Amino acid sequence: MNTRRVVSGLIYALGVSVSLLAFLYPFLGGGASHDGHAPLVATALVGLALVALLVELQGQAVGAKTIATLGVLVAITSVLRFVEVAVPVPGGFSPIFAPIILAGYVFGGRFGFLMGAFTLLVSALITGGVGPWLPYQMFAAGWVGLTAGWLKRISNLRALKTGEWGLEIALLSVFGFLWGLLYGAIMNIYFWPFAVGPVEQTWTPGIGLGETLARYGAFYVVTSLGWDLTRAVGNVALILLLGAPTVRALARFQRRFHFEVRPANA
Amino acid sequence: MLDVRAWLLWALTALVAASSTRNPLYIVLLLLITAVVGIVCAVGRAGNPPYVPLRFAAVAVPLAALFNGLTAHLGDTVLFRLPDWLPLLGGPVTLEALVFGATNGLTLTVIFSGFAVFNQVTPVHDLVRLVPRAFHEAGIVLSIALTFIPQTTRSLARIREAQAARGHRVRGLRDWLPILVPLLVSGLERSIGLAEAMVARGYGAISDRDNPPRYAWSLALGLMALLGGWLAYLFLPSWKGIALGALLVGAGLIVGVLWLAGRAVPHTAYRTHRWTTRDTLVVLGCGGTLAVALMNREALYYSPYPRLTLPPFDPLIGLGLLGLLAPAWGVAGGQDGGA
Repeated sequence: MNTRRVVSGLIYALGVSVSLLAFLYPFLGGGASHDGHAPLVATALVGLALVALLVELQGQAVGAKTIATLGVLVAITSVLRFVEVAVPVPGGFSPIFAPIILAGYVFGGRFGFLMGAFTLLVSALITGGVGPWLPYQMFAAGWVGLTAGWLKRISNLRALKTGEWGLEIALLSVFGFLWGLLYGAIMNIYFWPFAVGPVEQTWTPGIGLGETLARYGAFYVVTSLGWDLTRAVGNVALILLLGAPTVRALARFQRRFHFEVRPANA
Repeated sequence: MLDVRAWLLWALTALVAASSTRNPLYIVLLLLITAVVGIVCAVGRAGNPPYVPLRFAAVAVPLAALFNGLTAHLGDTVLFRLPDWLPLLGGPVTLEALVFGATNGLTLTVIFSGFAVFNQVTPVHDLVRLVPRAFHEAGIVLSIALTFIPQTTRSLARIREAQAARGHRVRGLRDWLPILVPLLVSGLERSIGLAEAMVARGYGAISDRDNPPRYAWSLALGLMALLGGWLAYLFLPSWKGIALGALLVGAGLIVGVLWLAGRAVPHTAYRTHRWTTRDTLVVLGCGGTLAVALMNREALYYSPYPRLTLPPFDPLIGLGLLGLLAPAWGVAGGQDGGA
């Protein structure tokens, strides 16, 4: 393994760790997290980690095919976001997560991260969704694509060789369901310390991990669970219906992207 | 027309000001200010919808009041009681809790309103121009995506028409399959054509564009400093100075890499926007508002608990918040064709 790959892996691991710890600071019961500046510092950390990861990951997407594919897939998925904005759909259902999961699954975690982050950025630009929530949305959607790439290691796209899609689609559906809930749970965390409401649902510094989790759980169940369930069920429905043909199409193009013509003496 | 950076500062100032207070009088003032700026600067521009935050307020304020009223059983003025056996909801419903909830709804509306105006007045290409030069490849992906969106929308319409001509009707989720798969395949075909065109025009031909290894090392060191600094900040209160120092070093390293990598990317701009006196006025106005919001935390504080009282109003603070009206000044004076 060459040094460049080691450093790249290090940036990747550190970027994810910094952003995770910045997201999760309300659950970390240290003394200084009690001061009023912690939310601002956490926001700055999320932004800086996103910058560092994008600088590193974009360097691995230098090929024209990768860049063009990423751009076009982001465009297609962003158009689907129009559906979410224009047509009243129930709760938190959004058609953008299934394509991010499927693209990450076929093209790998790093492509998935970029696809998730850019889809949220581009769709925010075209639907007027730019705001302080955007870096958090980019990160959370990036994680959806990133972790989808890890699934490939489990299944290794076996269904493409065997033609039996049941297990693979079931795996992707469970993954889509879990991320439907997790995305909402993660996106709540950044504003939860600012939320006001009943004591048993609000963040209070220094109450310990167990009590913080219990309060966040109560807050999540009351304010978000119903909303997020529609997103989770929507993801499952989209993956069950569109998963197999989409994975087949993406995998076919992935093989074409790796086709190279080299001179005979090279 | 204002510079996109001045608009960004304006939206962020509205966010900070709205987050700094729960006094309904100041929040209503901020809402009026963003509404005036939105109506003067954004409404009437081609393609802009009517002022949408009013619809947001019509939903957010009653919902927030209801939610807080039913779940926070604090305050002296009891309006009615819900049976105690109801989980979470059981207990007295008070006027103070309803007012506090409605104030939170108004705060959310101000934040939403500020960014709604920002989204309406800033063209997408101006926002893309804000992308740092170091994000060269990311910028290309962004440009491709934004360019392909109209094409993708047209493709979607064409595929729907073609399927309809063959008797296909969209009645449920399953009926989208013959539309979405061709859309995906045609998009991927176009991406191959685009990639070939990019290579033919020399994209990727210059191999020394790759960032030098020291940038990667600096990024890794910067992230390490951030991680160490953040852990010390959270868990070692007595090390706060060292923690903040490490965080600053980490931030400096990452921003430094961004700047150095950006310098290596040749950049040309067509029709660049020139910074004008109006932009400076907006910056000064936002500076005044920020100073008022950050330096008067105690004066901005208000709580309706335990018994609802009339919130205080300091005219000087109100005057400071009026700095957010700056984007509307030039337009109202006829110096801008935006309205």
